[in-house]
Amino acid sequence: MIPIEHVIGLSAILFTVGTLGALTRRNLIVILMSIELMLNAVNLAFVGFARAWGDLGGQIMVLMVITVAAAEVAVGLGIVIAMFRNRDSVNIEDVSLLKW
Amino acid sequence: MNPPPVEIALDFRAVAPIAISGIGAMAVLLLEVFLARRKTFLFKPIGPSYVSGVLGLAATFTLVAAITTAAQAFLSGGTAVFNPEHPMVQLDRFAAFGIGVVGVGALLAVWLSIHYLVELRINYGEYYALLLLSTSGMMLMVSAVDLISVFLGLEILSIPIYVLAGFDRRKLDSNESAMKYFLTGSFASGLLLYGMALLYGTTGHTDLAGIRAAFDAGNPLTVGGLGLVIVGFAFKVSSVPFHQWTPDVYEGAPTSVTAYMSVTVKAAAFVTLLRFAAAGFATVPENLTQVLWVLAVATIAVGNITAVVQDNVKRMLAYSSIGHAGFILIGFVAASPEGYSAVLFYLFAYLFMNVGAFGVIVALADRGRDWDRIEDYSGLARTRPGLAAVMTLFMISLAGIPGTVGFVAKFQIFAAAVKAGHVWLTVIAVLGSVISIYYYLRVPVHMYMREPGEVSPRTGMDTTEGLVLLTCVFGVLFFGFFPDGIDRLPLSALSWARDSVALLR
Repeated sequence: MIPIEHVIGLSAILFTVGTLGALTRRNLIVILMSIELMLNAVNLAFVGFARAWGDLGGQIMVLMVITVAAAEVAVGLGIVIAMFRNRDSVNIEDVSLLKW
Repeated sequence: MNPPPVEIALDFRAVAPIAISGIGAMAVLLLEVFLARRKTFLFKPIGPSYVSGVLGLAATFTLVAAITTAAQAFLSGGTAVFNPEHPMVQLDRFAAFGIGVVGVGALLAVWLSIHYLVELRINYGEYYALLLLSTSGMMLMVSAVDLISVFLGLEILSIPIYVLAGFDRRKLDSNESAMKYFLTGSFASGLLLYGMALLYGTTGHTDLAGIRAAFDAGNPLTVGGLGLVIVGFAFKVSSVPFHQWTPDVYEGAPTSVTAYMSVTVKAAAFVTLLRFAAAGFATVPENLTQVLWVLAVATIAVGNITAVVQDNVKRMLAYSSIGHAGFILIGFVAASPEGYSAVLFYLFAYLFMNVGAFGVIVALADRGRDWDRIEDYSGLARTRPGLAAVMTLFMISLAGIPGTVGFVAKFQIFAAAVKAGHVWLTVIAVLGSVISIYYYLRVPVHMYMREPGEVSPRTGMDTTEGLVLLTCVFGVLFFGFFPDGIDRLPLSALSWARDSVALLR
């Protein structure tokens, strides 16, 4: 049996990678993927904790997160497409009409 | 061998407001199909403003029904738990108060939208469906007593608002508003979720009661989890340092959407945070209070100071809403029943004055453009004296001048903070409040002391817009003079807030 520390360690690494990606990348699609990575790291943590506690709550949470992430990414891609149609770009630097 | 049948006694009263709004959203979506612009076997085609009117009416009925069920729950004073064996959704007075604020905010936003959507030529039926769906998410979140239902409510409220912010999809700034809100919002959900995972991992429970029982303030993972949850909510209520999205999103979104989200998202997030803070973690006020103290001061300072230099009224109101988030956070720092009931009353007061201010902007929208630059308001007192007068009222209420509901709300918050011994915090907040008078009064100064511009403002006003402004003027003045109601009209907002909080302990 894999010890819980390993599961949580992996999840923490994935979450950090996702956070850094979301903060530093400039392509909207890559940012979306990074956010998905964060959510999947969360899922891993929930599953690991659920197994460690022998409690089903965490696994139910994972099902909810997966469902919500699917809805979120659908809306996100829709917004990206609406923007691409108006601007011909998916670079976040071009999203700069509104400032200060 | 079959397992024995499980008997589940579900109490559907607990989810009535949530279900009504959700079902209403589906019904509105279907209704739009039948009200198609082409001839169908049932209906003749009708004009776009009628479509908007009919859908708005359906949304109004839905919301009134939801608010009524919540009001009944509030008056009965009982606690309905959906599934007592695994409490996830609980409709008590506290939740009912939150549902009431959110529901009234949504109702006013629906009325503001009916004409505005036609004016901006974005008159699609999904708008009302998304608005109702997001409202049902907020209702779920404020009545949630489990991490799972908190998360689900948060997402059901957020995802439709991402779409609503970008609803004017041919306009670049609306796209941009949706994009920024989506990215920051989903990033914040990620942080919030990791915080929930840590809380779950260190306590072994997803329900708030279980987490509180097993909470160990000495464990860094638990405290970190709680911190991440607070960060997630700080994003939603636009508290500094997680506020940068607010001005851009508020400015770019259609004004009716801005009016909706500025009051309801804030109300839902703060009410849920209250349940977390008061019911969930009464045992760790030490570090938490210091963190909230810093957040409150930073939010008041940044919001009020940056608002001074804005030339766009929508953007100025966005920074002002950051400032108001700071004032509300003071109630959390005070961490007393007075502080918490002051938070609830502040959310209630903010509803009327902020929707009113945005309502004036909506009522001036003309030929597909928002009248949101400060120069647009020059000389408005001469061209539209009525609108100028109500705008002035909302501005002085937002600034917190006596005689308005804004003053009563700020007074409650400051009194609670002083009573809890946070004198310095109160002094800083009063200074922020003084700064805010400057930028709020810039609008009346332009309206009353400048010459009108060359383009004359829109004449005439839609009935529903007038209804919204009337409701908001009533709310600002009535609760400003009689926060505890009068004999003829026992609308005692202050004691509603107190009764709601009494249950938390």
